[in-house]
Amino acid sequence: MSALFRDGEERTLHAVPFMVLLLLALALTLQIIFHAQQATPQARAESLEPAPSANVLRTASFGESIVAAQFSVLYLQAFDNQPGISIPFRALDYNRVMSWLQIALQLDPQSGYPLMMASQLYGQVNDEPRQRMMCEFVHARFLEAPDLRWRWLAHCAIMAKHRLRDQPLALRYATDITQYAGTASGWARQMRIFILEDMGELGSAKVLLGGLLATGEVTDPSELHFLTERLKTLEERENSAGTTKIRQ
Amino acid sequence: MHITTIGKYTALEALRTRVPATAMLALVLLVCASLFIRELAVFEAMRFQTGFYAAAARLVAVFLTSVYALASITREFNDKGLEVVLALDVPRTHYICGKLAGFMVVAMFIAVVMSLPLWILAPAGAACTWTASLMIELALIAALSLFCVVTFSQLLPAAGFVAAFYLLARCITAMRLMGAHPISGEDTPSQQFASALVEGLGYLLPALDQWTATSWLVDSPPEPVQLLGIFLQGMVYLTLLTAAALFDFHRRSL
Repeated sequence: MSALFRDGEERTLHAVPFMVLLLLALALTLQIIFHAQQATPQARAESLEPAPSANVLRTASFGESIVAAQFSVLYLQAFDNQPGISIPFRALDYNRVMSWLQIALQLDPQSGYPLMMASQLYGQVNDEPRQRMMCEFVHARFLEAPDLRWRWLAHCAIMAKHRLRDQPLALRYATDITQYAGTASGWARQMRIFILEDMGELGSAKVLLGGLLATGEVTDPSELHFLTERLKTLEERENSAGTTKIRQ
Repeated sequence: MHITTIGKYTALEALRTRVPATAMLALVLLVCASLFIRELAVFEAMRFQTGFYAAAARLVAVFLTSVYALASITREFNDKGLEVVLALDVPRTHYICGKLAGFMVVAMFIAVVMSLPLWILAPAGAACTWTASLMIELALIAALSLFCVVTFSQLLPAAGFVAAFYLLARCITAMRLMGAHPISGEDTPSQQFASALVEGLGYLLPALDQWTATSWLVDSPPEPVQLLGIFLQGMVYLTLLTAAALFDFHRRSL
């Protein structure tokens, strides 16, 4: 390789004194023996440290709060992949995970990234208490800025309904979206109606759906048609339920 | 005799090319920067300052030692000073050993200067261990730079090789861990090849990530056996690099 960088020819191997060759071979052998004697490095999972305060991060990033927030979430995101080892989410201390997410949100309140991580990454762990912790975290942060963060709570409502099988919790989240997030999409604001329907609260669902249609909030013709049909179905189901009760 | 003379003049050359002044200037700048970092920290201010200074000083010391050794030999090649020296009755082995001795004196000086603030910032025992480890590391970097510049003759490829070697040696333990335990869990031929390659590199490189650690200063100093291991590894690798430089230099046609 050295010939690539040098002009002129190299001398033959005979020009190298025997002692130099011997020293080279000996040193190389020693290096290999030395390495072989060393213990094989063991992958060791490092525990997640508590997040520093927002002020520390803000100052350390020279006032670049957004960059500090981005580095915080990336650090947290990459934490489960340490050299030579992959830490399952369930092994993480979720209180510390929440502290990192909270700090990231404090530094960059407009970012949805920490809530996305909470609801769709750490919330997907196969452990109910941890799922609930993440949902509650998202709910608490939603209340701070409902119009900005409703979509993550909507995801938690769906998670509560289908994975946690906790209809009252799903209803609480859906109700809060309807109540606080005025700019949320129609599907999210109407979620409460369908959860009530699933819970067998047909009367309440009908009242809400009727109210929604009466206020003129829904303007899209297809959506209007779908919701009207849904209202009719609810009325029919309620009537048939009432008839069954009279017969009994 | 030749070795001592060449070594002495190499050290003298360092003095005349303002290496001590550059080291002192770097020291002042790093201390100022570490004081600034200390002011930024809301708590554990001393830990922040020590950690920043130690990590930065280590890199700066490696940079100074390597650049000085590379530039010195390159200038000698370009000025035909080497031909003049070898026209005298100086064996090539003496020339390399003399140059290396001179570079090691410079490396020791840089290590001592750069570690001075740590005697105030950290416990004396930890500072002493850290300085000893830095001396061995810089001696190794000096030998590596000498080998590279003898082999490549040109400054750019030699400096590139030193930088790549140093980065690789600082990462090799993490690479070995990742190679041995792939996250994907796949045991494909490409995975096996990559793992074998990294393991092979591990045999040829010193694990510099375990040397001159900042944690010795801010947490707890290493066990004596660890320092002994570093010393032994340093001596073995220093011999290997010197032998490799001698091998290439003896084959060099003037």
